[in-house]
Amino acid sequence: MSPAILADRLSKTYDVKVRDPGLRGAARALLRPRYRAVHAVADVSFAIARGEIVAFLGPNGAGKTTTLKMLAGLLHPTSGRAEVAGFDPWTGGAAFKQRIALVLGTKQQLLWDLPPLETFQLNQAIYAIAPADYRRRLDELVTLLDLGDLLDKPVRQLSLGERMKCELAAALLHRPEILFLDEPTLGLDVTAQEAIRAFLRAYRDRHDATVLLTSHYMADVAALASRVAIINHGRLLYDGALEALVARIARTKRLELIVGDGVTRRDLEAFGEVRVFAFPNATLEIPREEVPAASARLLATVPVIDLSIEDPPLEEVIRRAFESGDEPVAAAPPASIAREAS
Amino acid sequence: MSAIRLWRHRYAALIRSAWLVDLQYRAAIGIWLLWGIMEPLISLGIWWSIAGRGSVQGWGRDDFARYFFGVTLVNQLTLAWDAWHIDRWIREGELNYRLTRPVAPVHEAVADNLAYKARTGGIVLIAWLVVAAAWPAVRIDVAPGRWALAAIAIVLAAGIRFLSGFAIGLLAFWTTRVSALMELQFGLSLFLSGRIAPLALLPPVVGTVAAWLWFPYMLAFPVELLTGDIVGPTAIARGFAGQLAWLLLWWLAYRLVWRKGLSRYGAVGG
Repeated sequence: MSPAILADRLSKTYDVKVRDPGLRGAARALLRPRYRAVHAVADVSFAIARGEIVAFLGPNGAGKTTTLKMLAGLLHPTSGRAEVAGFDPWTGGAAFKQRIALVLGTKQQLLWDLPPLETFQLNQAIYAIAPADYRRRLDELVTLLDLGDLLDKPVRQLSLGERMKCELAAALLHRPEILFLDEPTLGLDVTAQEAIRAFLRAYRDRHDATVLLTSHYMADVAALASRVAIINHGRLLYDGALEALVARIARTKRLELIVGDGVTRRDLEAFGEVRVFAFPNATLEIPREEVPAASARLLATVPVIDLSIEDPPLEEVIRRAFESGDEPVAAAPPASIAREAS
Repeated sequence: MSAIRLWRHRYAALIRSAWLVDLQYRAAIGIWLLWGIMEPLISLGIWWSIAGRGSVQGWGRDDFARYFFGVTLVNQLTLAWDAWHIDRWIREGELNYRLTRPVAPVHEAVADNLAYKARTGGIVLIAWLVVAAAWPAVRIDVAPGRWALAAIAIVLAAGIRFLSGFAIGLLAFWTTRVSALMELQFGLSLFLSGRIAPLALLPPVVGTVAAWLWFPYMLAFPVELLTGDIVGPTAIARGFAGQLAWLLLWWLAYRLVWRKGLSRYGAVGG
């Protein structure tokens, strides 16, 4: 079965005007403009199967939103090709657009001065949704997103979290099979973030939708994505399971301890690096392969009241992945998947 | 759903939304409408004082009154401000979600125009009929056939004005100076479209230049057709031919700029 989303050596290069500072620089730029090629996305390839949720991660300006916009058909690539829901995003036309939704956390499609219901009704007409389907889908979205009290309030009076929930409802009324979400939880409080995550999981489960999302919140990634793609300076550094990335990047595991009376920092240093010691709490960092033996020795020789073994925080793992430079963290599998698919 | 029904449904929804949004800005709409009426009335006042009790090149006070009432109505029915909207859509990334819809953004702009014109054009027409009941000078005494021709000319003029504004607005794909271009077009149109004076009263060289441009077909031609100042089938046919030619040219310009612009669109903003 062909993948729901396929990117094959996608590249996007912008010509950016460069100008020296000062009046002389301004005059020179006017007479002899100079341009610098900025490779926003370079040779990015991956394939996403139907029903997958993939998180696209990278620091600001890494190229993740540019890739998302290319796949949604907004931006034309400089080179490469893509296939989304069986369509070329740039020539797919209305049939393609009926199958996708793009939600941008910083831009809204809701009519600012009117209640969300007006945008929903407009989208019903634009996407040619039959009245019975519209009512059923709206009921479902209202239930899943808890929109009951928001439908008749002007959008400008909604909180950020309420607006994002309504944005999602507006974007999903036509029941797209592919969702591109750019920072869907940006600026939301923890409760609203969790509500959005729960909704996205439910939507995917109910409709077997494919989701490609960007987020700076690792909680989004951990809760939603089974797979992550890491991009930096326009290049794909990693594409694979989140656990595999953690295992590859995080060579150590953390032992969170509550120790008994008399245990000192020096007692614990024999088992690994002591990251934190604030009696009775301690955090040890131990190489992954040594964890079983070290924890067995620890339990046998040191009075331990409680012990838990954890991976380092996801933020730290991802930061390390970004810091690994432009070298791929792992051999990217998508090229082979792409070949199979084509 | 048949294609005609689908598009009728879409346009009805887009126009409804435009009206609902406009209702939130009643005062602003009122001020714009007032400005649209004041501008030709100021021109009328100036030409009235110039004409005095006599005439200017054969134009008396009644002729000016009829002409500028025609300008008021046709201007409201052909007014297009889309360049400023498109410019903002492109520069601030508001085009992004519009491009993911199965309806091209131009349809939203057309619906927005229809909504505005149906409302303000209707108000101006009613106001004109009320004034005409008391003031014979501004009554239009032309045959029903001429009314029909004027209506067609107004539709074509609105098309030229809309497409020229939309195409110029799309230049925001390349430049951030679209507003300046639109101000230039606005300034030229004051003279060359017959907004501040009937073209017949301008120096001959201005009339010659105007004849080679689209401006007279956006306003002066439908106004003069409505007021009966254009006579003879040849002049009328030449006017319609000019309108159709410029409509086609601006449509081609829109298509070209849209296609080329989209391929270099930067989709700024989240």
